[in-house]
Amino acid sequence: MSESEPQAGHETTGELEDRSFTGQSVRRFEDRRILTGEAEYIHDVTPPNCLEMAIVRSVHAHADIVDVDTSAAEEHPDCELVMTVEDLKESYNPQPCGLEGFEEWSLADGKARFVGEPIAVVVAEDRYLAEDMADLVNVEYETLDPVVDGMTAREGEVLVHEEYGSNVADNERIAFGDPDGAFEDADHVVEGTYEWGRVSGVPLETAGVVAQYDENGDSFHIDCNIQLHTLVDDTVYETLGRPADRVELNVPADVGGSFGTKIAIHRYCNLAAMAAEQLGQPVKFVEDRIENLQGGDMHCSERRYEMRLAVDDDGTMRGLDVWFVDDFGAWPHYPVNQVLKPLSVLTNSYDVEDVVYEYDLVLTNKTAQTAYRGFGVDPHQYALEMLVDDAARELDIDPTEFRRRNLITPDQLPYRIPSGNIYDSGDYPGAMDRMDEILDENERCEGGLLDPDIVEQRREEGYYRGTQTAVLIEPGVSGSDWTDRQRTDDETIENRTREDVAELPEHLRAEVKPDGTVLAWLATDSSGQGHQTLVAQLLADELGLLPSDIEVDYLDSVEAPTEYGSAASRMAVMLSGASVGVGEQLRENLAELAADHWGVEREAVSYRDGRVERGGTDESLSLAKLAELDDEGRTRVSYDYEHPATGISEFDDALTSKYPVYPTAAYAVDAPIVEVDVETGEVEVLKFYTLRDCGTMLNPMIVEGQAHGGIAQGLGAALMEEFGYDQGSGQPQAITMFDYLLPSTKNMPDIEMEHTSHPSPFTETGAKGVGEGGMIDAPAAIACSINDALEPLGVTADRLPFTAHRARKRLREAEE
Amino acid sequence: MSIEDMPHSGDRPTREISVTVNGEEVTREVEPRLKLSDFLRNECDLQGVRVGCEHGVCGACTVSLDGDTVKSCLLYAVQAEGLAVETVEGLADDGQLHPVQEAFHEEHALQCGFCTSGFVMATKSLLEENPDPDRDEVKEGLADNICRCTGYQNIYRAVDRAADKLDAVETDGGADDTATDGGER
Repeated sequence: MSESEPQAGHETTGELEDRSFTGQSVRRFEDRRILTGEAEYIHDVTPPNCLEMAIVRSVHAHADIVDVDTSAAEEHPDCELVMTVEDLKESYNPQPCGLEGFEEWSLADGKARFVGEPIAVVVAEDRYLAEDMADLVNVEYETLDPVVDGMTAREGEVLVHEEYGSNVADNERIAFGDPDGAFEDADHVVEGTYEWGRVSGVPLETAGVVAQYDENGDSFHIDCNIQLHTLVDDTVYETLGRPADRVELNVPADVGGSFGTKIAIHRYCNLAAMAAEQLGQPVKFVEDRIENLQGGDMHCSERRYEMRLAVDDDGTMRGLDVWFVDDFGAWPHYPVNQVLKPLSVLTNSYDVEDVVYEYDLVLTNKTAQTAYRGFGVDPHQYALEMLVDDAARELDIDPTEFRRRNLITPDQLPYRIPSGNIYDSGDYPGAMDRMDEILDENERCEGGLLDPDIVEQRREEGYYRGTQTAVLIEPGVSGSDWTDRQRTDDETIENRTREDVAELPEHLRAEVKPDGTVLAWLATDSSGQGHQTLVAQLLADELGLLPSDIEVDYLDSVEAPTEYGSAASRMAVMLSGASVGVGEQLRENLAELAADHWGVEREAVSYRDGRVERGGTDESLSLAKLAELDDEGRTRVSYDYEHPATGISEFDDALTSKYPVYPTAAYAVDAPIVEVDVETGEVEVLKFYTLRDCGTMLNPMIVEGQAHGGIAQGLGAALMEEFGYDQGSGQPQAITMFDYLLPSTKNMPDIEMEHTSHPSPFTETGAKGVGEGGMIDAPAAIACSINDALEPLGVTADRLPFTAHRARKRLREAEE
Repeated sequence: MSIEDMPHSGDRPTREISVTVNGEEVTREVEPRLKLSDFLRNECDLQGVRVGCEHGVCGACTVSLDGDTVKSCLLYAVQAEGLAVETVEGLADDGQLHPVQEAFHEEHALQCGFCTSGFVMATKSLLEENPDPDRDEVKEGLADNICRCTGYQNIYRAVDRAADKLDAVETDGGADDTATDGGER
């Protein structure tokens, strides 16, 4: 299978115009400083006189806070500061919460709503001393019954927020086409209930903040590893009660992973900034791992789906009915996006017109959710594929054949799904056929993992093997205003025109330095995706330079326009589009500059190979020379690459309605080969086959790396990872990495990856996003493979993670 | 705990320790409760020692202690008294990356890089003990370290490549046709 041979990016051969770095596995510029220990992550940032903060956290899931006695801490000579919510109320604002009707302070106000909720902060010279001081703060509680389960919370017997009056913070039922008709007319209706456990990104680097306050300018400089620092900066400056331009969020070049989760670390930014202002000294906070797992506002979707599929005798899918409850924990952070993003891939790869989609977003006594790679799409795809498997069995059709009969075909693309989003390009049946071939050639043959004789023999020994292919779509490139639109009343929506639609472009700057190399500035933060390398290789092509001639740096939240950044697999598409735009503009500016210098018409000069040439002569000007000549700033350009749906009329309907538009549809056909030990319930993935289409591969090495990582996280979600809670007390059961199990080398099989490429017609470079892929497709694929393996025993992976314990339980129940 | 029980920074117990860190002797007065990982990061300014979990699972803080591969978050600095510590900062020789570091770069075996120091140290140790590990031995050898980005696939390849490089160093006295680096400036 494909192995992309990395390309050296620093060769000295000429003839640059004949070669392209785009599409090559240019090795990363980011690596050297990381490999030598020189990289500076937020944990490494410690300005002079920096103090450290520790947090006093609730030990109860639900309790009235009767008293917070800070006197002992305050009297101690090592204590620099103690803050409770009362101190916050004197000078600051609540944090923006995500839904109207909720007033969330950065510290618990009167009541603790989850274990680990911050109640007070203390500041001392270092973290050791700060933790000592935290021990001196005495909190008196009056405990309340917690509500721990999403389905129970809907009943509203125990309210997480009394003043809100309900635990259902949001709900909606949306019908597309004529689902009632489809369900009435169809030959069969298949029903299923599927559950998805709480998981999260759990980046190796925890959250970190170093806040400094400048009294003279009444402004803050906050170094932190927040994600989307130009988009979510309102959660910090609004809380601090300062205008945006006086709260500078700066994210280090090196961030130790985020996967979406770090968009919600504003609580820490706020508290450290407040402490820095109170003390007039820099204040640092580094979250420890237990804080991160227990109460770091960083868990993601926890869903129960009840789904129905209307199917005819011949296996035609007629209608889909999706209902689910998502347990958001104590506060509805980023809620609407997460439950609605699945609308962008509502019917996955199937041609179904009549669909109903309904959800309850409920609150419980658990830590709040944030975004996580996939952002709510992964559970949807899992539940839908489970339902498809169940339907195939009920109709007694081979599940692969059943899928194939309903796939959207290449001649239907671009294909408009019921909720209005459009899939750009691809060949789903072709991909499925190719995966069949791969399995036949490698595994269903004699001696292969799926050699029927071996499968039979293993089964006799108590090990059940199986695999199931499915085509899973990854919606890419978010960044239009559908979240706001979702909150808009129907009449306004009705009257919307295309001009009313706000879309979020991506900003890029570049300038020629005196030595003729180019410095580019990203408006986004990175957490390991290789953005610097990507921009360098694309700009090198645009400007006829070497990637090593391009340096890439970052803008802080004040310097950068309030635009978007890295989310929803945007970066390959948006940064590549922006790089092309910046390159074109810089070439044009340089040509004009040279023409002016020579006193000739613009047409008499041309940009070529890192210099401008004067036609009919052998005169040319290097980039260094042009930088020297430039006195009007023409060697400095910025460019905003528009959201790809802008100006494409196919998207008009979706953009003026209130449903999400994700204009790229990368996809994967996965065939994980799993083996279940029916004695212990343990599931092993023996090998993971995957065939993927992300359109143009800008840097195959990075593309594959993204897929590998996503698949590993998907495997974790399918088999191991879960933030469990004690149903009685609401105590979290996974607060160390001994309880929240991340896949290690022992769990990860070899991944066999192949690519197909159908470039997107909607994007500048044909790239589709790939950042969320594996996490979106792997859980569904692994679950369906388990279904295949356990088919003879009538057991399905109806709840993820399908841990050994759960599997054993299902197997025992099936025996009875 | 009450304030009477809690010592303040002026009267805390300390102990003087001397540790050889990447070849240089470091002597410091430290609290006995100071973790070795924090000692290396804060007292020795070796920020390549990463703190990911502080309870011995993730392996980001992996260093070599007198030749043993250890998780520095599970030891106190005082336990390193008189011993030699090697961290990722000690690997590159005069600006030339160690073959394991080179292999990680060439195989794209790192993304966010937070776990990378630990993986590099663990890989070096694995290859010292077993210069030619098969895939299962690689998996076994690196099972104490967690990477959340790479899915381990490229780390496996990097270990294979590093083994080849080290083998070439042994047999050819250092000759190795490493591809030109795209990341150097």
